[in-house]
This record gives sequence, C-alpha cells and structure tokens, in this order.
Amino acid sequence: MADLQPGATAKLKSVALKSGATVCGVADAAAFDTHAPEKHRPGDLLPGARSVIVVGGAQPREGDWAATSPWVMQTMGTTERIQGVGRRLAQYIESEFGYYALYVPPGTASGDTPFLSLMLAAQLAGLGSKSLAGPVLNRDHGFMYWSAVITTAPFDTDGVEASPACPAPSCREMWDREGTTPCLAICPGSNGGCLSGKLENGRAVRTFYDAARCNTRVHTHWVGGFQKVLEATLNEPDRDKRKMLLYGDFFTRSLWAITYSSTNIAQCFECMRVCPAAHGLREMK
Amino acid sequence: MTRAEQVKAIGLKAGARVVGIAPVEAFREKVPEGYRPEDILPGARSVVVAGGDGPTAGAWRSPDHRVMEITGYDLRENVAVHAMCDFIEGTLAHHAIQAPSLPVHGHEPPMSMMHAAELAGLGTRSLAAHIILNPEYGLLYYAALITTLPLEPDQPLTEPACPHPGCVAMYKRIGTTPCLRVCPACLAGTVQDGRIQESTYDREKCHSRAQTYGIGSFQKGLLQIVNEDDRDRRRTMIYSDFFTKSIQSLGFFRDSIAQCFECMRVCPVGRKYRKLQ
Repeated sequence: MADLQPGATAKLKSVALKSGATVCGVADAAAFDTHAPEKHRPGDLLPGARSVIVVGGAQPREGDWAATSPWVMQTMGTTERIQGVGRRLAQYIESEFGYYALYVPPGTASGDTPFLSLMLAAQLAGLGSKSLAGPVLNRDHGFMYWSAVITTAPFDTDGVEASPACPAPSCREMWDREGTTPCLAICPGSNGGCLSGKLENGRAVRTFYDAARCNTRVHTHWVGGFQKVLEATLNEPDRDKRKMLLYGDFFTRSLWAITYSSTNIAQCFECMRVCPAAHGLREMK
Repeated sequence: MTRAEQVKAIGLKAGARVVGIAPVEAFREKVPEGYRPEDILPGARSVVVAGGDGPTAGAWRSPDHRVMEITGYDLRENVAVHAMCDFIEGTLAHHAIQAPSLPVHGHEPPMSMMHAAELAGLGTRSLAAHIILNPEYGLLYYAALITTLPLEPDQPLTEPACPHPGCVAMYKRIGTTPCLRVCPACLAGTVQDGRIQESTYDREKCHSRAQTYGIGSFQKGLLQIVNEDDRDRRRTMIYSDFFTKSIQSLGFFRDSIAQCFECMRVCPVGRKYRKLQ
C-alpha cells in the first residue's frame, strides 16, 4: 500500500458504514482470476484494477420478515439502497484518494450474466460465504444485498471468511436428525423446488441450486412477467380475454414492479390539495 | 452566512458538485410565457440550480462499453434539490418546488434545466450536442428548484467553457474539434476568434443513438411485435435482449440513462478530473 495514505482503508470503510452499509470488505482484484470467467474479472472492466470494495446491507428488516402479509416483502423491496452506497464510494475514492473507481453496474451485461459476480466479490472480500440456499450469508448479519466498486487503489484486502455461516449449528443438528435442513426442506429440488445438498461433518459437501426455476418464482412480477402477459395477450384472439389479461392483477403488478413506482406515486392529489389538515399548521409566505 | 450561502451549503452537503442561483426575471428574455418559473410557481423569485456528477473517471475508462450504458448514476442533483427545498420550506418558510424537467410533449420539458444552469452561472452551451459544460468539471447533470424566496443571484459566465483552448488550437490547425470530429453525424459548427460562431445539433439523430434503450426503443419494439403475425417470431422478439433491455430501461432499472457518450468522451473540459492514478 505504498501509494495510499496510512489508514486509507479504515477511512474508506468508515465512510461506507456511515453511508448506510452494514458491512464493508476489500478483495484483491487478482483473486477473481481463478474463479471468474474472462470478461467478468475486475481488470476486464477497469484496466489496472487493484482491489474491489464490497458493501453489504439494505436487507429486509426483522419486521418485514415477521409481517404476516406476503405482500409486504413482495412490494417493499429494500435492495436498491445498497447500490446508492456503492455509487457514493466510487465517487469518494476518486475525489478523496485520486484513484480510478468504477461502480459495478448491478444489472446484467447480457441475459442473466452479471458484469461481475457480486456474490463472488462478497466472498472474496471476506464478508460471507455461499449457503445451501444460494445467497452469500454474512456470519453476523445473515442475508444481505451487495454492491461493489472496482478501483486502481491498492487498499488493504481482507481474507476470505474461514468458517462459513451456513450450515448453522441448528441446521447441522437437523441434518443429523432428519437428513435435511430448513432451506432444503422448504424448497426441495427433488419435489418441484430449487435446492438440494448434502452435509458431511457439519459442512456442505454438495449443493444444487436450480437458478432458472428459482428465477420464475422470485421474479414473478418482473420483466419476465410483463413479457409473458404481452405474449399471451397477442396470442389471444378473444377481445374480452385480452382486456382481462391486460387489466389483470398479474399484469398490473408487473407494471408496478418494473417501473419502480415509488418514484411515480400518484397522478391525482385533489382531495388532499383542498384538505386543511393535510398541509400542516405552518403558514408559508 | 447569507441565505443564498445557506441554501447552497445544504445543496453541496446533499451531494451536488455545484450550486448556482438565477433570478426569475432572467428567464423572461428567452423563455416564452407559460414556461417561466413564475408560471409554474406563482410568486416565484429565484431558481436554484444544482449540478451533479455523472459517471466516475473509472467508468469513462472502462473498455466494456456496456458499463457506461448502465453505469448507475446516483443523480444526486435531484437529492440536493429536495434537500434545499426542504430547508427553504421548513426553515425559511417560503414555497419551494423541484422544477419540472421531464418532457411533457415531444422532447419539450416544462422548464429547461440547461437554460437554468446557464442563467445560474454554472456553465455554457457547447459544440457537443449543446450540452452545458461547467468550466471546472465539464459534463454535469442538472436539476433545479423554484422558490418564492428572494436570493442573491449569481451571474451567467462571461467566459464560455467551450471551446476549450485545446479545441480552439485544433480548429485553427485542422478546422474541426474533438467532438465535431467524433460525431459528424449529429454535430456541426464553426469557431471564430476562440468562440463558437455557429453550432448545429441534430437532436433527432442523436436521440436515436444515445437512447438506444428507453421509452422510444420500447415503443419501437412493441409496434414491431404487435405487427408481427407469426407467433414464434413474436415470441423471439418479446424475449430478445433488445426488448428485455428496453423494458428494464423503462423502469430506470439500474439507471440506464444513455448509450452514447462519444462527444463527451473526447471533450477536454473538466478532463483533469478524469486523469487519476
């Protein structure tokens, strides 16, 4: 770290946590070479990349998990908040330290292929390890969302997590008792689900995750849902049925989902405009 | 601290790179009636403009062009504008609204952010698609607020940011500039005595290239799909990368802003901030 001021890594991590990250770690950019395919390594996106900063957080709150209505979690996504932290860190690294920084676009380069695997980045930055259920879990905070920044700055790197969060002690006990774990039991690949796996000596020795099947369930009301209804509508010869498809809850919810409608709340406010109680007590000049 | 300084400090703290103020009277010369700040907010006295950063220098440097296409802007200028609005209404007790800047018919917004930025002294129009360039930072993204609060205004810049001295020298040498040369399809112009003498920007052509994925491409794709009689071909079109990316961009999913940056890539204004280690 000859080129960076002393304490730069600690300062960066402190800014990340203050900006809203729950955890922050640094991976060596070269560490991706043995795991990631060509074109999807840090140096492919930013020439001269030295390190990858990963932030995690924005996970659903405990209240969200505890809510009895499934619609809470389905419609109140929190994932985007962590991306704002990543963007901010990229700007911060350039303005504060004078090194190139590239916020890794969280979308896909093409199809389902990400520019850089954020899950791999989180693992290499020592923030978590892959679970039987698929997501990378952090030992202290469990499930979280990830954002990453590739930089030419040689920040101090963190080591890969030595002991994985998954399987948890209670899951190991369940495996010994019943030959399954909570996640494998709730979504068994052998019975229409997405997951299967095997534990030996308290460690996962085999995992299977059907990403394509999972995608159709996790992103029910997403771009794919829109495309599905559009196709069904165009294939439908009956006018009335077409109308039902387009005004159906499924298509309506798909439209809400893909437009991130929190930025497009409403188009009529007239009752509130005239309501004397709706504007607070303070008189404006 | 004056009120203007207070407001600017709030905007800068909220993430704006620059903040400037224009008096509403300044809009009357070039803005038609119906589109002036006081037409949008009765009693308006000032327009506060915030400029925010676009892609990082690292993003500009990426050899993968798709990174810049969906590079994830944080659009902090909008956050800064809301922070300043909150301060003006909450602490200074004057009305404040974010100035509407999205097109409501054709390409026309209710209020031009480019013109507001010029009047607030934050930049000047360039040969490159008439993009407003800040003399210090080059390309920035602008948002504005309109308020009934009278604030001490800034003056429009007397020295234009474009053409850059390097571009003036290039024009003298070979009769073109980096932006005019990189995109002769959309841009044309002449430079005389170190100033822009004439500038043409083919907005329609630029739009079709810069917004490859967006509302326009969605409409185009949808029309083709609807007009396609063959079921299988329709299916291929619906699930194609082009249409999928168009749908994603509709929702500002991952902030897909534009797909062509070439005139700005070669622009030297503000480049010092893109030269890093």
